[in-house]
Amino acid sequence: MNGSAAAAPHVELRRVTKRYGAVTAIADLSLTVEKGSFTALLGPSGCGKSTLLRMIAGLEDITAGQCFIDNADVTDMPPAQRRIAMVFQSYALYPHMTVRQNIAFSLSVAGQPKKVQDERALEVARILQLEPYLDRRPAALSGGQRQRVAIGRALVRKPEVFLFDEPLSNLDAKLRVQMRLELAKLHADLGTTMIYVTHDQTEAMTLADKIVALDHGIISQIGSPLELYNKPANKFVAAFIGSPGMNFFGVDIVTMNGRTASVVLPGGRTAEVGISTSTSAGPAELGVRPEHLAIVDPNDPHAAFAGAIAIIEHLGNSTILYVETPAGQLIVEGEGNLAAKSGQAVGLRLDEGHARLFGETGAAL
Amino acid sequence: MSGTADGFDPPAVKIAARRRARLRHWDLVALVFTLITLGLAIVWAFPLYWALVTTFKPEYEVVRPGIQLWPEHFTLEAYIHVLTRTKIGFWYINSLITSVAVTVIVVIMAAGAGYAISQLSFPGRRLFWWMILASFMVPIQHGLVVNHFILMNQFHLINTLPGVVLPQLVAPVTVMIYKQFFDSVPKDFREAALVDGANEFQLLFRIYLPMNWGITTALAIITFIGAWNIFLWPFVAVNTEDKMNITVGITQVHDAFGVSYARDLAVAMLAALPVALVYLIFQRRVTQAIMLSAGIKG
Amino acid sequence: MAATGVQLSRGLELIVKSRRNEIAVAYILMAPFIIVYAVIFIWPTIQMVELSFTDAPLIGEGAWVGLKNFWRLQSDRLFSTAIWNTFYFVLLSVIPSTLLGLVVALAVNRLKGWVQSVVLAAFFLPYILPVSVVFRIWSWMFDKDFGVAQHAITPFTDGQHVSVFRTLPLFMPAVAFVTIWWLLGFNVLLFIAGLRNISSEIYEAADLDGAGRWTQFRRITWPLIWPVTALVLTIQLILQLKIFDQVYLFAANVRTDATMVMVQYILKQGFQMNKGGLAAAASLVLFLVIVVLSVLQFQLLRARGER
Repeated sequence: MNGSAAAAPHVELRRVTKRYGAVTAIADLSLTVEKGSFTALLGPSGCGKSTLLRMIAGLEDITAGQCFIDNADVTDMPPAQRRIAMVFQSYALYPHMTVRQNIAFSLSVAGQPKKVQDERALEVARILQLEPYLDRRPAALSGGQRQRVAIGRALVRKPEVFLFDEPLSNLDAKLRVQMRLELAKLHADLGTTMIYVTHDQTEAMTLADKIVALDHGIISQIGSPLELYNKPANKFVAAFIGSPGMNFFGVDIVTMNGRTASVVLPGGRTAEVGISTSTSAGPAELGVRPEHLAIVDPNDPHAAFAGAIAIIEHLGNSTILYVETPAGQLIVEGEGNLAAKSGQAVGLRLDEGHARLFGETGAAL
Repeated sequence: MSGTADGFDPPAVKIAARRRARLRHWDLVALVFTLITLGLAIVWAFPLYWALVTTFKPEYEVVRPGIQLWPEHFTLEAYIHVLTRTKIGFWYINSLITSVAVTVIVVIMAAGAGYAISQLSFPGRRLFWWMILASFMVPIQHGLVVNHFILMNQFHLINTLPGVVLPQLVAPVTVMIYKQFFDSVPKDFREAALVDGANEFQLLFRIYLPMNWGITTALAIITFIGAWNIFLWPFVAVNTEDKMNITVGITQVHDAFGVSYARDLAVAMLAALPVALVYLIFQRRVTQAIMLSAGIKG
Repeated sequence: MAATGVQLSRGLELIVKSRRNEIAVAYILMAPFIIVYAVIFIWPTIQMVELSFTDAPLIGEGAWVGLKNFWRLQSDRLFSTAIWNTFYFVLLSVIPSTLLGLVVALAVNRLKGWVQSVVLAAFFLPYILPVSVVFRIWSWMFDKDFGVAQHAITPFTDGQHVSVFRTLPLFMPAVAFVTIWWLLGFNVLLFIAGLRNISSEIYEAADLDGAGRWTQFRRITWPLIWPVTALVLTIQLILQLKIFDQVYLFAANVRTDATMVMVQYILKQGFQMNKGGLAAAASLVLFLVIVVLSVLQFQLLRARGER
């Protein structure tokens, strides 16, 4: 499901500001999340993504502005009344309770009879394949199982919005991949609105319908994963998304030719790059993703750079090469069976159609 | 690396040999030290042992010259006399009631206050914390004994058990320790429980206290022992034998049997029995609580 | 049962609706403590200060006399005796018990396993005993006619048995001795905790550097354990300034004021002489001395915590 204009905003932050004493973490930010979508809040540590999530949850006060869930103003409502559920980074499983008691906690707190508690806990345990562990304590579970219990605890409340605060960061790499798939499946099965905070762009790219990229408390760009990947609005997003990251180097814009611009590359060659805003000639930055650079013969006339290979990393399905060029060290992604040697002199071809220009403010041109 | 063929040991071998000789020397010294330590421990434990053994001797053996480490005639005569001819029953019950009352009330109050200061924000929070610290630095029992007497007298509680209990209820250390432990519970648990819909009381009783049972046990035990052993206040506040707690009781009545060592000691042993048992059973908790109250974690 | 529990907390919850009523909950939780605190601590303290400026008897009203009670204290021989005895006692008990505590802790720390547990229990068990039990045990040990300790005394007195607690010069040292026996375990415990915090690697490095046992103690153990030593010293100091129980008990049959200590003086003035105002003044003096020392101790604790 993608967030089309017709879907009503399920969660809305309207001009929210968050101040800690003299420090303003978030200023006048507005954000909507569509019903049933999987929205990722993505950014480096300290960018304010967790703060936003916690404001939606009601765990942080909103200094100024409002928060709406399903068109109701929840700005002053305590977390328990917002019909949300949250999965914490550390899972926060009550160590002195069994899995069943952990999952059923919110029901027990609400005064539900034991029978109902057990039934619902069992139901949830079945969905998450936790049945054999219902009577164990968290200390006796593996990382992945604990994660599922945390999800189960959220699930049992049948919330309107699921909030995830970096839930996979405590897992090892393989487990992370596995849990990612389970989360995707969960969303597909339930269709509940999910808001997911992460600093890992792979998680955001694979799980989200919509990514909100945050930089120091300001929304850098909102869009679908592919939009952010192919049409980054600024250098921050371009650099943050994609692994290995985009290469950046300074260029000189010489002429504007309508929808393209001629630029002079370091090393003297020229290239013709697409441009969407009109700008004057002068210095700018060019961003090229590693997969849009190709290793060619050093004497290839179409090569954009001449350089020498510094380091080669063989990953099996691809090869990452670090090439010293007049534009600095560039990262190039090539075929898995690329034959190359460290120190080898090569040329680099540039896929001009996929290069992006960025101005001095960092905005895409 | 390997030894040379011409007979000169490389320095490493020489040092190793020297170390071995030193170690052998030190092993002997170590053994001597250990023996001395054991000896000192025996000497330290002797008075208690001697008192205990005396209680099982008939009086004529007690006053015999010379040291007899084990009774020739093992007897319970001293204990029987004490149990039947003194008000020890009253004293035990009084001690039990006051100690349990003090323990229960102090622990509950301290847990509540400690939780509030640790987890909740409210006006006056800092002030209360400083006031608790202040009371920690003040000699409440000894410095205020006269005024406690005057106060309890105004309440008509002199020579009553509630009067004995009341001044013992201010226990700042207990609050401080609870606050310390509640502080160390990761915030995530509180937030998860809040999101789950728990109110503060549910948080306290279902999350914070259960996660800290060990400390509650330790504090309860140490409070109990303190209340059982207290002397000054009950001594001042109670003047009839049947209202005395046991620590005061055993000092007030030895005149009654003239000089009878075994019986005096027997009643003392009975007074010490409960707290000694509590210590021996809950050794670790007791030592943990004592170290905490001195400000040392662990 | 759980249902009524939930109903009760739901009821409380209704009083305590939203997050803003955190304040109400806090006050409910703190109320019992605050009430007791006010009644047992604040009020009597105020009363004590007020009383010390009056000539009131123990029970009843009195007239304001300003600093008269304090002048009385200054000129009262008995009060200065009490102060002197208290400090004498502190001198006899605080430093010896601290140093001995360290020595024993060093010795016990070398042991391992159940041997260590048993030995530690031997030193610590006396601390658990009520003071009157300790009194009985040592009364018996030092008994003039049949006490075991006489065996250690008679070599020095030509076979004469000595009533230790009736012999004035021996009284305080003997009481200090008993007190040390009683409370050593506490010091040992604290020192062991401190010693355990010193990583054994430091000693191994010292061994390699060629430092002998004594040097290691002087240059490593002593400086590193100093914070605990200071803590124990101040705790013992504050504790012994309040001394009453043992001194009273051991002197009970000796009709003399020569061994009086401060708390005893307070009790005598208040309960025997019925001079409430004077007793309050003496209490205030004791109070202030201890508060000052406690504040110092607290600063010490805080400095330790900052490490």
